[in-house]
Amino acid sequence: MLSKALLEDIINTAMSTGGTFAEVFVEDRYNTSLYLIGGKIEDGMTGRDFGVGIRIFNGFNSIYVYTNNTERENLLKVAKQGAMAIDKAKKDIIMDLTRKDITNLHPIKIMPYTVDNTKKVDLMKKAYHAAKNYDDSISQVSVSYGDYEQNVLIANSEGLLVEDTRVRTRTGISSVASKDGEMQTGFFGPGAHMGFEYYDTFNIEDYAKEASRIAKTMVNAKHCNSGKMPVVIDNGFGGVIFHEACGHGLEATSVAKGLSTFTGEMGQQIASKLVTAVDDGTLPNDWGSANVDDEGTKTRKNVLIEDGILKGYLVDKLNGLKMGMEPTGSSRRQSYKLAPTSRMTNTYIGNGESKKEDIIANTENGLYAKYMGGGSVNPTTGEFNFAVTEGYMIKNGKICEPVRGATLIGNGAEVLNKIDMVGDNLCYGQGMCGSVSGSIPTNVGQPTLRVSSITVGGRKGDN
Amino acid sequence: MKLADILFKKGKEAGFDDMEVYYQKNRSFNLKIFENEISNYSLAEQEGMSFRGLFDKKMGYAYTEKVDETSVDMLIDVARVNAQIIESDDEEFIFEGSKEYREVDNYNPSLEDISTQEKIDIAFELERETKAIDSKVEAIDPCIYTDSFSESIVVNSKGLELKDKSNLAMLYVGVKIKEGEDIKTSSSYKMTNDFSELNPKKIAKEAVEEGIKMLGAKPIASGDYKTVLRHDVSSDLLESFTSIFSAEAVQKDVSRLKGKLGERIANELITIVDDPFRENGIGSTGFDSEGVATKYKKLVDKGVLKTYLHSLKTAKKDRVEPTGNGFKGYKSSISIGPTNMYIEPSETSLEDMISDIDKGLMVTEVQGLHSGLNTISGDFSLSASGFLIENGKITVPVNQITIAGNYFDMLNDVESLADDLEFVMPGVIGSPSLKIKKLSVAGE
Repeated sequence: MLSKALLEDIINTAMSTGGTFAEVFVEDRYNTSLYLIGGKIEDGMTGRDFGVGIRIFNGFNSIYVYTNNTERENLLKVAKQGAMAIDKAKKDIIMDLTRKDITNLHPIKIMPYTVDNTKKVDLMKKAYHAAKNYDDSISQVSVSYGDYEQNVLIANSEGLLVEDTRVRTRTGISSVASKDGEMQTGFFGPGAHMGFEYYDTFNIEDYAKEASRIAKTMVNAKHCNSGKMPVVIDNGFGGVIFHEACGHGLEATSVAKGLSTFTGEMGQQIASKLVTAVDDGTLPNDWGSANVDDEGTKTRKNVLIEDGILKGYLVDKLNGLKMGMEPTGSSRRQSYKLAPTSRMTNTYIGNGESKKEDIIANTENGLYAKYMGGGSVNPTTGEFNFAVTEGYMIKNGKICEPVRGATLIGNGAEVLNKIDMVGDNLCYGQGMCGSVSGSIPTNVGQPTLRVSSITVGGRKGDN
Repeated sequence: MKLADILFKKGKEAGFDDMEVYYQKNRSFNLKIFENEISNYSLAEQEGMSFRGLFDKKMGYAYTEKVDETSVDMLIDVARVNAQIIESDDEEFIFEGSKEYREVDNYNPSLEDISTQEKIDIAFELERETKAIDSKVEAIDPCIYTDSFSESIVVNSKGLELKDKSNLAMLYVGVKIKEGEDIKTSSSYKMTNDFSELNPKKIAKEAVEEGIKMLGAKPIASGDYKTVLRHDVSSDLLESFTSIFSAEAVQKDVSRLKGKLGERIANELITIVDDPFRENGIGSTGFDSEGVATKYKKLVDKGVLKTYLHSLKTAKKDRVEPTGNGFKGYKSSISIGPTNMYIEPSETSLEDMISDIDKGLMVTEVQGLHSGLNTISGDFSLSASGFLIENGKITVPVNQITIAGNYFDMLNDVESLADDLEFVMPGVIGSPSLKIKKLSVAGE
């Protein structure tokens, strides 16, 4: 992408005013996105992102510059502009970049660019028809398809030179059900760090029908009851509760500044003993995986909470300096336009011993959240919220009528302590996580679990 | 643009009819201050270009960030492949241009004359002022000064060539307020392209006061409450629901406003305007990304739905005039969006508006807008905080509650509007505070 000699020159220029560390991130990325609505392909967009980001540390502070003019003179000019923000004595450094070979843990069998667009279109239509024909109440279905190949090169003043290729594929199916002038929606969006072979690992029609089933169930559902109650959160994307309630608070971005409720809690019991939580960027071909993070550190399995005790944070280079901690291979960024920082990869709560049936049967009255939508958190106060996209009331230990429009709110630290049953059926769901270093693919996961009491926001009494 | 001419020539040879290039160039500067040091300093210069063209009457798109001749063949090949899979029956075309364009000035040359040192100084001043206000200010993060310049060009094979440029600066502060074990966060900011309008003292004061007022907040009992949505909360909600006015959403059957033109969809107090010429409006522009001249319009006039927002394609399908609302970045195809869209304010002060509420809720912040609401059904259930209103006065702070309702129902349930119209970040949607007959609250 850029020659070794040029990379060395850029790093030297970047450090010419006394910077303590410099890094070059080169990105060359091909994106394809297709959109179908009403059975017809409506949009197709393909393009190439190409640019270079240069980061310089000045002690605990950082400078970031980026450009997509990759001519030698311009890159050196930009590196110089960044360096000019520091006003210190120049240090001579000897640069010798050594290319680091990495073992590819996430092999790609069918690169998306080798696949004819018509095959992608066929897949989308298959999904469309399965979703549309699911039920007469399904009034509209849209299918979005996306894939990308992101080639990155990372070099830094510590002599690192590493390249990685991330290939990600995802299809999203949105169904709308209509009844008596009302509309409700259902969504399913499977994705992976894989090529087109991903679609040989399952039948897209099953997910399409699931999206329509959710929409149909919700258009027939009543408004959810409000108030505090036990909530059983199902496995898979339900893991978004941990992602929001706790995961963001364990990112060094907020821990290092003392802005997280979990700052200074290492080794303390911060969750119920039933909770073991892990962030693992090495899971083969999973949505949030990569061989190296966006600082070139090898990804790894990080245990965050073990039996309720805080064991680790997610740490990037810069915040690691402030905290005196090693980077954990989870520094990520959306693109060369953003400096990387500590983020989640594939984050999950590990299996417990309860059976899902028993968790439900042991809950006298409460809410069963079968599917969750997204959510958000304020890491400083720990207050979070997230949406239940398919919910049911539990009465006398049985799942009863479906309810719509429920939101769960609470405080992360409190909820972690209120997890009182954990199932044995861990699985994952795919999402996009937005934060300071942009929007990145993250996996969330958990087995079915119960929170003994949580505030459910609904519209009881409206019917 | 010379590159556009090469593209049009080669595109013609490849079998394209009409073609268009959309080019964007951005420059930005960003400073973050943390504990009296510049913790982040960033500079960027960046460009991108998209190409679209009609191939067998279908529109194909492609883009690149490598804006030079080496990208020409790729853009043409890829756009052709993409055009060939399009099956939509909607007729697309490249525009020859509107009869006239109104001059809109969103570029302030004086901003370019501000030195880096002045920018650094004002950011440090913001941190200092914030810290000085109250000992309860435990941390200040983020404390940001940022500015950007952007330029866009639309040029097509029908001879249209339009250029636009704008710049903008922002000063932003977030604070952590602590009293005992009670922690609250709040923020304030100002966006403008006139540097002299950035007032660190004012921004600091707003952020800190808002946070301190929330100390001691508690949930209230669940139930239905007469609710005042403060202007910023109402703006946030309107922003989330702008897609209901998109003709594209209507034509694809995913907007509940389908078939409602000329009908009452809101209380007659409600008038919603899209004004591309609003003075100092961040969304102000003389033309959209398809080269269509923008125009002032009332989407909702005294509760009656008057028009949808249109692109060239949706207008042609509905056999109406395009409204100049087809926008895109170089990475995306055209989508419909507002310019400066707002609910018209009344002449009643916020104080007067709440004076006749015996028991109610004033909402000053909502969270979870990207997940807790559904633009298709109109349902929302959002984490909220604010204040209790008792006997016509604001009393105690409230948090850890949700407010739930349906936006379409809510527009009908508006009882009054205040005079405090403000726009929210990123600055194109605004509303005054609204008084709503009732919303469902979940709390204790």
